[in-house]
Amino acid sequence: PASATKTRKEKEPFEIDFLSSLSSTLAETIYTPAASNTVISLPKKDWKSKTRNLLPDDKHFNSKQLLRLFLKPRARMGTRRSGFG
Amino acid sequence: VINLRKIQEACCYEPTSKKKNKTGAEDFDEEQFTYEFTRCVLRVMPVKKSESVGERAIRFIGLFLRHANEKDNELIPEADQEAGIMVETPSTRLTSHLMAAILPLLTAKEKFVRYRSTQLISHVINSLEAIDDDLFQLLRHGLLKRIHDKEAMVRVQAVLGLGRLAGNEADGEAEDSDDDDSGAGLLEKLLDVLQNDPSADVRRSLLVNLPILPNTLPFLLERARDQDPATRRALYSRLLPALGDFRHLSLSMREKLLRWGLRDRDENVRKAAGKLFRERWIEDCAGTAEAEDGQEGEAAAGEAKPPSFDGLLELLERIDVVNSGVENGVALEAMKGFWEGRPDYRDAVTFDDNFWDTLTAEAVFMARSFNDFCLNEGNGKFEALIEEKMPEVTKLAFYLLRYITVLVEALKRVAAQEPSEDEEEEETVEQEFIVEQLLHIARTLDYSDEVGRRKMFALLRQSLSIPDLPEEVTKLTVEVLRGICASDAAGEREFCSVVLEAVADVHDTIMDEAASVNEDESFHSAKSVVSSDGSPSKSQKTEEEDQDKAIREIMVNMKCLHIVQCMLENVEGNLQQNANLVAMLNNLVVPAVRSHEAPVRERGLLCLGLCSLLDKSLAEENLTLFMHFFSKGHSALQITALQILTDILNQHGAQTLETNPALLKVYLKALKSGSKTPEVQAAATVAIAKLMLGRVISDSSPVIEDLLRTLVVLYFDPSTAHNQGVRQTLSYFLPVYSFSRKENQDRMRKVALDALHKLFEVQETLDDEGDAAVEMVGISTIGAHLIDWTDPRKCYVPGNQLTLGDEGSKKAVNGDVHLEFARDLLERLGSSISREEKKLLAPLLQKLHVSPASTHSLLREIYAEVSDAINSKLV
Repeated sequence: PASATKTRKEKEPFEIDFLSSLSSTLAETIYTPAASNTVISLPKKDWKSKTRNLLPDDKHFNSKQLLRLFLKPRARMGTRRSGFG
Repeated sequence: VINLRKIQEACCYEPTSKKKNKTGAEDFDEEQFTYEFTRCVLRVMPVKKSESVGERAIRFIGLFLRHANEKDNELIPEADQEAGIMVETPSTRLTSHLMAAILPLLTAKEKFVRYRSTQLISHVINSLEAIDDDLFQLLRHGLLKRIHDKEAMVRVQAVLGLGRLAGNEADGEAEDSDDDDSGAGLLEKLLDVLQNDPSADVRRSLLVNLPILPNTLPFLLERARDQDPATRRALYSRLLPALGDFRHLSLSMREKLLRWGLRDRDENVRKAAGKLFRERWIEDCAGTAEAEDGQEGEAAAGEAKPPSFDGLLELLERIDVVNSGVENGVALEAMKGFWEGRPDYRDAVTFDDNFWDTLTAEAVFMARSFNDFCLNEGNGKFEALIEEKMPEVTKLAFYLLRYITVLVEALKRVAAQEPSEDEEEEETVEQEFIVEQLLHIARTLDYSDEVGRRKMFALLRQSLSIPDLPEEVTKLTVEVLRGICASDAAGEREFCSVVLEAVADVHDTIMDEAASVNEDESFHSAKSVVSSDGSPSKSQKTEEEDQDKAIREIMVNMKCLHIVQCMLENVEGNLQQNANLVAMLNNLVVPAVRSHEAPVRERGLLCLGLCSLLDKSLAEENLTLFMHFFSKGHSALQITALQILTDILNQHGAQTLETNPALLKVYLKALKSGSKTPEVQAAATVAIAKLMLGRVISDSSPVIEDLLRTLVVLYFDPSTAHNQGVRQTLSYFLPVYSFSRKENQDRMRKVALDALHKLFEVQETLDDEGDAAVEMVGISTIGAHLIDWTDPRKCYVPGNQLTLGDEGSKKAVNGDVHLEFARDLLERLGSSISREEKKLLAPLLQKLHVSPASTHSLLREIYAEVSDAINSKLV
């Protein structure tokens, strides 16, 4: 019994019982149809996406831009204070 | 149990075992087998998605059915087979019976039954080569209903089955076009799902399973911008490599795909796109290049092909490098990844004299991108390659001179010709591109060799005074010149004086030309006066002359101002200490700002702005002028004015902003300009983000809270929903600002509830107006953002960064900011705000993080306040 509990703890293998006759609960699960089409369908409003699920254009704002002057993109900000002049 | 497991395994792993079963148990007839088989299949239906045996069982069923059908077909006499009629066999009967049993389950109430039945039907459709036509229609119809199932997992299975059908039907459509409900209808539905399904899994399954056809391709490629990163990646790593030769795509599509992919937000997408470029696209080109070479082609098949530089040049041509290789074009990034990922090309590349003698746009870009790569990547480990493969300064100067000469001559030819000669113009574009790339290389060279340095210096100085030199070439020439001069103050003076000499040359050349033309003209007109004796023609001539002269003057001014602008962008020293610059300011820039010609005035403004960065008092004197341009100008000018003002604040400190209410108003006004000029609003957002993150606006500034609150409101305000510039800047700025400093986080806390109140009002007005088209995130979501930004555990603490990932140190962080937040919330709840707002605020209290390492007195205080609030039923 000890080993039996051990293996069970490790992994409980999932089994499909092909032999026994169909239990009533299982049969119910399989054969109960949906009450109406709407219950199992996506609401119509979700059929269309305003954005077509696409991203907007990226503006690529990043920290590099923060460290630059607008007018002098090549010069780093604050160089003047530490540099000559 | 063990026996059962064995049977289950036998079913799953050995597709032939059932056959054996059948022959071994001949007592049972086909009907019984069919019944038993169906009975077993039904057992698979309720298996949950997470159980892998479910999928294995379904695959087994599919495999078995295919195998059985094939075996049955082998038994059919050949004559019948050729007739092409589907013959009924035990297996087709089994299939029909099974499908008829499963079909009703597609609409089962239980989602896993729908999932398994859809999966099975799709799988069977994909496994079998032929299915009875009536049955097929039923299956197709059943699956079509499931593409709008409530469960994404069911939809995924449905589109898997239908995707294949759509391909088959589209193929066959040409033959039997009488079928109304044919492939096109199905395909249309699926494309609709591809665009609109809320589940990324569904979209992704379709993306990789839909047939690639001329009419589906645009829809498929559009997914390069799908919201889901895995879907975007699937496009680059699966669809596009499977597409075949990329050269079938349009030029603009190639450029877009490359740009979107290489600049994607997600690193994995970027990687997939880079791989596509350097492994697939190059092979498409290298393949043809080799085939043209003839004999090599066969040997290379199979193994890794040797580098083909003809292929690489073609690849660059195919991505239109003349356009995509300019500044901010995507070609440079593409080639960076290429040199990085293709060491074989990196090692094999050579640039010999013949190469430099016969430069094309593609060739020069190859050299330039290689130079950039070796210089900037790999922490200097590729620098030896530059030494080895790139020419020295003298040689490059020689080639530069040659190609500048070619360019200038080409420009002259174009100017002399009728304006309709497109071919010539295209050539000057290429020549211009070549010169630009050479200058890019020149900018990176080592000028310690005095001979080379002098040669390059003279060449650049001379080129700069050519009035026809295009703007981008001018800009690069000035930049290279700055690099050649020493970086100290003396070097800067030398640089300024040499550039200003060139400006004077340009001025003289154009004015001389103008003068000589005028002399010419007046000579003619004098003659005509004599001959025709008519005085009106004379005055007409002078009018024309005046107009010509005015146009020339504008051209001179624009050209000179542009050179000066390029120069100023590379100057850092004090303006007053440089006599050349002072003279230039007074003689060129100031008159330009006063010009009546708008283009001259605007360029003058930019130069004045640049000068102001070099001189604080000049900046202060002209502040009103810049503000004036902002309030009176068109939107592009407003942006320039804003940028000038912001740079000035950055350079000289933000006290001007704090002591100058009019200046603050400029910023606030710009932030509110969204409806009229969204681009100005976006520019203002970036500007303020810079000033605040750079701490140019100091903590003690009286305006800082106003600005921060405005930005928070702006981020969530529905009016900015379509202004991606604003939204994306703020989605970067707000968290970075809050998490970078304790003081910032506390300021965020201070403005949070005011901002929330303001947004609550915005939402109420929206509700009142019943404007459903405008979307706004819920107040509780906004609240959650504010709580998150003020979370003390997320804030950077100096000296703590190494242990930031460690849970212990996170717990130990001082959490006063959230305690203060709690106090603010309680205060609001006790105030006279509406019940609805209180209902939204109260739940925020439980999201706050209470840290034991907070100030003890504050902890006790807030605890007491909370207890009070509960006792008085405030919450």
